[in-house]
Amino acid sequence: MYELFKDLGAWLVSGDQWTGPDGIGHRLVEHLQYSLLATLVAAAIALPVGLLIGHTGRGAFVAINLASFGRALPTVGLVVLVFLASGLSMWPVYIALVALAVPSIVTNTYAGMTAVDPEVRDAARGQGMRAHQVLLQVELPLALPLIMTGLRLALIQVVATATIAAYVSFGGLGRYVFDGLAQRDLVQVLGGAVLVAVVAVVLDLALAALQRALFRHRPSPQA
Amino acid sequence: MNRRTLLGGLLATASVPALAACSGGITSLDGGGSGGGGGGSSKNGVTIGTANFTENQVLGHLYAAALEAAGVKTNVRPNLGTREILIPALKGGDIDLLPEYQGALLHYLDPKAEATEEGEMQNALAMRLPRGLQILPYGRAEDSDAFVVTRETAKKYGLKSLADLAKHNGKLVIGAAAEVKKRTVGAVGLKDVYGVEFKEFKSLDSSGPLVKGALRKGDVDVANLFTTDTDIAAEHWVVLTDPKNLVPGQHIVPLIADRKADSTVRKALARLGALLTTAQLTELNRLVDKDKKDPEDVAQDWAEQHGITKK
Repeated sequence: MYELFKDLGAWLVSGDQWTGPDGIGHRLVEHLQYSLLATLVAAAIALPVGLLIGHTGRGAFVAINLASFGRALPTVGLVVLVFLASGLSMWPVYIALVALAVPSIVTNTYAGMTAVDPEVRDAARGQGMRAHQVLLQVELPLALPLIMTGLRLALIQVVATATIAAYVSFGGLGRYVFDGLAQRDLVQVLGGAVLVAVVAVVLDLALAALQRALFRHRPSPQA
Repeated sequence: MNRRTLLGGLLATASVPALAACSGGITSLDGGGSGGGGGGSSKNGVTIGTANFTENQVLGHLYAAALEAAGVKTNVRPNLGTREILIPALKGGDIDLLPEYQGALLHYLDPKAEATEEGEMQNALAMRLPRGLQILPYGRAEDSDAFVVTRETAKKYGLKSLADLAKHNGKLVIGAAAEVKKRTVGAVGLKDVYGVEFKEFKSLDSSGPLVKGALRKGDVDVANLFTTDTDIAAEHWVVLTDPKNLVPGQHIVPLIADRKADSTVRKALARLGALLTTAQLTELNRLVDKDKKDPEDVAQDWAEQHGITKK
């Protein structure tokens, strides 16, 4: 066990391991690229949907169930399915990652919107605010903590699952996990896994810090 | 390295009751140290383990049919995983018998082994097997690695053998399982033996939907498949010949625990090995993969048709 950790440490800090096309530096950039792009696309789809169903209260049943359906899809299965249709490209990976990220964002956004006190909403309307003003100036800020939670959740899931890009020959930190497994190189597998975990934790902390910064001046930060 | 000596110790103690049973001695010791695989001879039944792909499961059920016909009770445990799981299970006594492949097993035991001819490999394997395990004579059927191109690619580049690939160094893309990148029977050997350098290596799966899909769509030019893959014939793909014998023979060979390898078992498996051909095995794979038949039924039907079991 001790030997293993020693090898793992050596693997993680060796200069050779950090440079070149198969180096940690390059793989890290690829992994971040896959994860952030997939999460952004998912947010672009899921946020409007979540806000809309939360604001109108309509279509929630359909939207939430559709989103849950996406969550239930086995990611590897989805990758293979899209791969067989589209051929060898990043599409299978991005589609699978977006399908994974959308549910948490939709459900959390919706939950944040429904948690807004109806009296606050009524008061806003009573002051003569229009629908979009109520949404953007009252409901959205109040729902933001839960929305951010959804985004953080989605991002962690995506970072952990973006290893799947390596399954269809692409890069990212999953390369170490898949190659290590195939080559029976446990140190490489562990190295990849540790790096993925570190990236997920660091990104989550960064988003948490952003969240705190955004709500610093709010009288009641609790949702 | 403590684990290895510990395992050796366990194997040593496990072989004591096995010896006692073979000499017709104290039967109460049967299976005393050999775990779930049952007792010290084939009379207590044989547990057959199989790997996580179709053909190996078919072979496991064929072994079972042959042994049952010889009066040996069997228990097939399908889809146990990869060699990394199966060999320790065999050493530990959880399973007794495993359908194996000469070249792949040899490579697993000794990545640097150079034997490629069937007889040589049999010897090389016998020398390297862990204590308590042995291989039986290899069968006729073979499932080796093939490097395959589409008919169009073969025509476009004039490809017939692996040597022809070197004429197009830096142009072709190969798709294969990730391990093939570092394997002698793979990118390394193709470079060393044939001087082939690919433009890119795409890590996909072992003769599965990914690598075949990529070949079909032209995303890769060369694919590493199994010779018993039914899609090769169905899609009219071209298997590149191997004039310098880079790819070792992969005859199917039973890997068995010493305590179960009595004459009944040896004879039954030898008979099966002599009957089953590569073409038949390919067809059995097709029945399971394409016609979605049950591996056990497919194996039973074959055994009946070939007079191993009676209807």
